[in-house]
Amino acid sequence: MFLLAFALACQEPATPAADSGVSDRGEAPASSPAPPSLKRLTGAQYRNSMHALFGEGVLLPNSVEADERIEGLFAVGSAYTTISSYGVEKYEKAAYDIAEQVMDDDELRARWVPCTPVDVQDDDCAAESLETLGRLAWRRPLSADELEVLVLVSAEAAVVLDDFHDGLEFGFAALLMSPNFLYRVELGDGLTGGGGSYTGAYDDYEMASRLSFFLWDSIPDAELLDAAAAGELTNDAGLLAQVDRMLADDRVVDGVRNLFTEMLHLDELDDLNKDPTIFTYMSDDLAESAREETLLGIEALVFDDDASYLDLYTTQRTFLDRTLAAVYDVPAPEREGFGEVWLADDGGRRGFLGQASFLALNAHATSTSVTRRGIFIREVVLCQPIPDPPANANTAIPEVAEDAPTMRERIAVHLENPECATCHELTDPIGLGFENFDGLGRWRLAENGATIDPSGELDGGAFTDAWTLGQVVADHPQTGPCMTQTMLQYATGNVADDLDETLVDWHTDGFSANAHRILWLMRDVALSPAFREVGEIQ
Amino acid sequence: MKHLSDLLPWTRRPRRAVATERAVDWRPGVPGLSGALSRRAVLGGFARGAAVTIALPPLVAMFDAGGTAYACDGVLPKRFGLWFWGNGMLPDLWTPETTGSGDAWALSEQLAPLAAVKHKLCLVTGLSCKVDNTIPHGSGMAAILTAAAQIETGSDETVAAPSIDQVIADQIGGYSIYKSIQTTATSSSGQSWNGPNSRNTAEQDPYAFYERLFGDTFIEPGEDGEVDPRLGLRRSVLDAVMDDIARLDARLGSEDRVRLEQHLDGVRELEQRLAILEENPPNLEACTKPDALTADYADIDGRPQITERNAIMMQLTAMALACDQTRVFGHYLTDPVSDVLFAGATAGHHDLTHNEGEPQPQVNAITVAIMERLADSIAILDSIPEGDGTLLDNCAVLCTSEVSLAQTHNIDEMPTIIAGSACGFFKQDQHYRSLSGENATKLLISLQRAMDINVSSFGIDSAQADEGLTDIEA
Repeated sequence: MFLLAFALACQEPATPAADSGVSDRGEAPASSPAPPSLKRLTGAQYRNSMHALFGEGVLLPNSVEADERIEGLFAVGSAYTTISSYGVEKYEKAAYDIAEQVMDDDELRARWVPCTPVDVQDDDCAAESLETLGRLAWRRPLSADELEVLVLVSAEAAVVLDDFHDGLEFGFAALLMSPNFLYRVELGDGLTGGGGSYTGAYDDYEMASRLSFFLWDSIPDAELLDAAAAGELTNDAGLLAQVDRMLADDRVVDGVRNLFTEMLHLDELDDLNKDPTIFTYMSDDLAESAREETLLGIEALVFDDDASYLDLYTTQRTFLDRTLAAVYDVPAPEREGFGEVWLADDGGRRGFLGQASFLALNAHATSTSVTRRGIFIREVVLCQPIPDPPANANTAIPEVAEDAPTMRERIAVHLENPECATCHELTDPIGLGFENFDGLGRWRLAENGATIDPSGELDGGAFTDAWTLGQVVADHPQTGPCMTQTMLQYATGNVADDLDETLVDWHTDGFSANAHRILWLMRDVALSPAFREVGEIQ
Repeated sequence: MKHLSDLLPWTRRPRRAVATERAVDWRPGVPGLSGALSRRAVLGGFARGAAVTIALPPLVAMFDAGGTAYACDGVLPKRFGLWFWGNGMLPDLWTPETTGSGDAWALSEQLAPLAAVKHKLCLVTGLSCKVDNTIPHGSGMAAILTAAAQIETGSDETVAAPSIDQVIADQIGGYSIYKSIQTTATSSSGQSWNGPNSRNTAEQDPYAFYERLFGDTFIEPGEDGEVDPRLGLRRSVLDAVMDDIARLDARLGSEDRVRLEQHLDGVRELEQRLAILEENPPNLEACTKPDALTADYADIDGRPQITERNAIMMQLTAMALACDQTRVFGHYLTDPVSDVLFAGATAGHHDLTHNEGEPQPQVNAITVAIMERLADSIAILDSIPEGDGTLLDNCAVLCTSEVSLAQTHNIDEMPTIIAGSACGFFKQDQHYRSLSGENATKLLISLQRAMDINVSSFGIDSAQADEGLTDIEA
């Protein structure tokens, strides 16, 4: 339903451009670009790319090498972490499994082997097939040397196995386990385009790859590669045209979903662990439902409404299935699947911070955690990293007692002990604002028989409960800039230190002037010098 | 040229003539077994634009003059294991009252589950991690496994050096199909590190683990099979991949080059594995293919089936060792900071270590449960006969955690047990207590020496040690 709504909304691709924010803040300031880095495809990018090539029906491995976060994002981690030998082994196995499926499926085989071999060994037909698949999988044309090796591999296998297609399977597998597929080779050294020295800018094919992984979380389509071949992605007008086309394409929904999955740690719901004897509403499908609620809400906010990112924290619109409706104590909107729900004014719950995905994930297996919820706000929403506690501190929270029935009294020790207070003052008062939600996200007014006091203050913004805390978060001067920084890091894979501060501020100004609209920001970042220019290899 | 079979009686013999003549010989020389080739040498070659692979004299370089360096009694290989759990123990209930060997010491309350295997343990208490304790759980993990402080960048941390299992696997892991295998009984990522930001993630799915070890490519000793022609073809593909890596490598900056080098290591390991699979499996009596799995290992009510998962992962690991599929394993019952719900516990493990009141009876019960799982694991290794003894006798398994008392993230009084004597290298039924809080790195030196790795100094900066723990060496 959102795709439809979005498609309508996006029939005017000039929407983001038509706003005046860009010109108001002037030209992009001079900035020093970050050096290039080799990024390994994340698990999501690997899956999306395989689906883009071979369709949704292709069976993919249960797991490839795990992603690790750096500065909160897989996008950044992918530029720093290395692969284990078990990971290489998994990629190899997956490459054969997938290549075999392609050859075994008449339709897929007809698409990817566009010629009829004249013999068991037919190097011309193999080359034609490998060239076609290779261009999409590697996001650039193959060199003559590269193609020759793949043709030889295929020919050797064809002769040994006495079958052209069985042989070509090995060539396809080689394409799919090559570093040219598994890594994003965006180096700005001009080699992709046939140059060979530092150029200061990503070349056309590198731009195609950067754009598609940023906006679609997947490989470029043929049109984008054609634009690269025509040199359109290194000039302003050509780039603009492709960015607007991509933002109007359904695939951008995948991109936005992945952006927020990474940013909000929604993947961690896979390992959600709750004691069902304490949280009786815990069920096997709760984690998946909670993730979908958040992502559907974001889709609606970004695509249906093109609304402010800040609304994420105050919106009363959400999407629930029966599982979540039971947790939230509201009528289920649909018998099957998700339906739209407008949360009541007096229900206490609204925005992403009232959703089970945030509340349950940032809590313990058997209780809430005011510290974890507070840390999430600081680090993820406000981009304010909280240092680790001193390692030798006793961090025990006193047990429930007559004079300490709720978490507020118990947690007070953290705030009295000066060693703990430095950091816990930054986190716990925020977390206490969510104490009306238990460790799963169920509403409650009392804990151990005592009324919960969820009031507090966040950097000068007073709140009385989670409802008003949502507004304080939305109004926090750091919330918009943090989204800008996160978007830039997500797009470039750079650590914050490698981003040019002046340029971040320039994007922040534009984001703010354009009503904090996510699609506007994505477009702005895709056109940014931070996205197009490259520092020298170090 | 000498072959492995000339050196060691247990080793592989060539299988029936390979059915496949290479139809197209376009490749540079492919070393059959190339584990000893240094990574730097290869990449150095790349940097100069040289060819992809460099032929090596197989294996000989890895043995000492006598050719018995890594074998017990000249027959069976030595193995190294890491058995890790998260969140430490309670030192007062962990440390036995007396020291010495045999009847001179008795197991403590927390160690009581190990009674059946006490005679094959060397318990070491009182060691300290000599790093600044700046990162709760992280500092201790890095010190006890990598002998170095963690690298901190903003709010992200990673290790500065490879973990001990990989240090040892670099030396002894090159002959077997897998340089090392890593498993968990929960959903832990594991703590096996090749270096900064380079983790060898632990397998958590018993079915995937079984398939990997004993799936289609597994051949039991004595089984008379045709060589699968696909094995050779897959090696050709890997050569093409290494071509790609070489071309790419020449364009990269120094940091990315190190990362791609790690990828190359994985490809080379895979190629070597395929080469080994083209030969006959070693004729090891204890090696049999385990029955296919049937049980369901899913969590029940939010609690992992730790007992069952631990047992199956260790049984498969033990058979992988017995079949010489690997000589190094890491097994992570849980990770540092694990908040797993143990049976009967009212909160997650880590949560309880900080928030349960004194004297922390639940934390104690969890630690005892962990030692029960350790006892299961050791018994599994000890149940496989090898030579005059058991598989365990040819192992040294370091059993440890990232802290002692988790409540305060204490990294003195570290919990360390060595199970198995590594062919008589370590004293058995021994409790050695360091009264001076000796550097825990000393234990890592002794473990390397137990694997016949000649090392006199190990560790970085304050964690460095220049001698082993000679008191526990037989």
